[in-house]
Amino acid sequence: MAEPPSEHVRQPRLGVGQIALGPAAPIAEPSDQVRTSYRFSDPALSELPLEQLLDELLVRVQEALDVDTVAILLYDEQANELVARAAKGIEEEVEQGVRLPIGQGFAGRIAGERVAIFIADVDHADILNPILREKGIRSLLGIPLIVEGALIGVLHVGSLTPRTFGQNDLAVLQLAAARAAPAIERAQLLAELEHEHDVSTILQRSLLPKRLIDVAGVGVAARYLPAREEVGGDWYDVIELPRGKVGVVIGDVVGHGIAAAALMGRLRTALHSYAIESHGPGRTLELVDRFVQSLNEPAMATAAYAVFDTYASTICYATAGHLPPIVVSDSNTRMLDVTPAPPLGAFPYGRCPQHELELASGEMLFLYTDGLVERRGVPLNVGIDALVEAVRDARTPEQACTLAVSSLVPPDGLRDDVAIVALQNTAVPAELHLRLPADPKTLAHVRRMLRRWLVERGASEGDVAEVTIAVSEACANAIEHAYSPSPASFELEAVGNNGEVTVAVRDRGRWRPPRGTNRGRGLSIMVAAMDDVQIDRTETGTEVVMRRRLRHR
Amino acid sequence: MTLGDVQITVAPNALVARVTGEVDMSNAEEMGASVIGATPNESQGVVLDLSGVEYLDSAGIYVIFGMRASLQARGQRLVLVIPPGSPVHDTLRLSGVQRPGEIAETVQDALRAIDRPAAAQA
Repeated sequence: MAEPPSEHVRQPRLGVGQIALGPAAPIAEPSDQVRTSYRFSDPALSELPLEQLLDELLVRVQEALDVDTVAILLYDEQANELVARAAKGIEEEVEQGVRLPIGQGFAGRIAGERVAIFIADVDHADILNPILREKGIRSLLGIPLIVEGALIGVLHVGSLTPRTFGQNDLAVLQLAAARAAPAIERAQLLAELEHEHDVSTILQRSLLPKRLIDVAGVGVAARYLPAREEVGGDWYDVIELPRGKVGVVIGDVVGHGIAAAALMGRLRTALHSYAIESHGPGRTLELVDRFVQSLNEPAMATAAYAVFDTYASTICYATAGHLPPIVVSDSNTRMLDVTPAPPLGAFPYGRCPQHELELASGEMLFLYTDGLVERRGVPLNVGIDALVEAVRDARTPEQACTLAVSSLVPPDGLRDDVAIVALQNTAVPAELHLRLPADPKTLAHVRRMLRRWLVERGASEGDVAEVTIAVSEACANAIEHAYSPSPASFELEAVGNNGEVTVAVRDRGRWRPPRGTNRGRGLSIMVAAMDDVQIDRTETGTEVVMRRRLRHR
Repeated sequence: MTLGDVQITVAPNALVARVTGEVDMSNAEEMGASVIGATPNESQGVVLDLSGVEYLDSAGIYVIFGMRASLQARGQRLVLVIPPGSPVHDTLRLSGVQRPGEIAETVQDALRAIDRPAAAQA
């Protein structure tokens, strides 16, 4: 089920050290203007395929502005992320497939807020992409690429020496963007058509999850990097499970080419299906092994499957012929112990013993396939040690993926494909301030988030059950009230102090008296479950404020 | 992840509907309708097995009352399976509802209850 979107009520703000620029004035020098505008309106550009077009535009921007770096990130609508697509001076960004969230950091805010941003000094700014710092970039200027109101991506330039980008620079960049954005959009459409011929790539991509889950208290990031020559059978998966659990999978089908990719798709589906039946990691892998055995064709794969319990902050994991997972922790980043178990499909009735460990707040579980650590003539443990070193300083799953790729992927590309997935136990905020869509499907999302929040406030099982049902009932009422034709929403706030929790649910609809005795039960539940329930009904909306002292039972 | 599921099997005299997962205003009505729609006329009644339910809200209780009423109108019975310690008991207690229908602790007990002559009903 898709997670209903939630957002913080607070308005977004620009990060530290970032300045939003207004629209640029026209360029002063008429002759410059002609020359610059010709650079980007050259009809020859329209004939180029996307890769070459982007390359050519970057070169022209670099010349026109005399900058050290230029990069284009394209907007991936499905993932709601920016993906590095073309770069000059910071080619690593593209090689490592950097993905940045919308709304945070330099590029993310340009995209999220659709404003041009100038950063005079990178050291004092909120920058998410570590490559920008590593390259020694001092100043940055970036603008959104927009076609007919739709966000296409971000174009940014950087200087290795401190530089004040002014209105003229902005105007040149906007000219380039005006030329680039529609061309990118057109070329993307064409590229999509052409790529259809590349069946194996399409197949591989389509078999991987389109979008990772969004669960309170869990951060995830993943990468799939194809091999230089051939598609492979590596995969990752993140699975939302009942009772506040999240499953995370990494796997590697033995072999290459389209057959391996197709088998990967079947194994991913099989594992996903057994996993949502809530078999533990060991049993899930054993069932996939039986599935592979039943195929009556030579097939083998290695896999690791871990289940993170968001309430207990524990990980339960098992592997089948797969390399050991890594835990990234402030104090002790390490490779985990695994009980050796045969690959899936290798021997009849293979057993996959499972292990359990605590994953403290902030700690990460990192799963990967052998293509990341295996190098010809180098012992495997050397590669794994290098990986442990590489991810040691990562603070987010996205950083862990970026660091692993930047440290371990050789400059001349990969011989074997690579899949990586990282999962972090992220702290739930001390207070919840949410605006939620008035849709019944939101209720399950609210309960999951609230349960995790209550557990972190020290609530007992009984507290969690009773507060959750009271709040869910209040939200259900808010959803029922919201019958206006516009996209309706309601607000949920939760705070906890001195062993007491207070939850407020606000809607903008009219209070409707309970219909019949059964419908009044929601209110009875709230009153019975909480110590105090205040309902404030006005012409503009209803506010329910509920308090309960945690009882530790 | 789907919120909840209903698995229906037909015993000689009754329909057994096993509900698992979470039941709230987003899925309660559809679940109830699917059970009622699957109940054959010749069945003595329905065993609604709630032992796999992890969450049930007031919308769920409302639907159970509705199911009981529509089964009664067809001369059929509804027996709920709610084992001790089930979160369904929390919801019933908090909402002040004692018995939204006959309650058994296991499916076997519930099937035996349905086999008893209707006159022996509580």
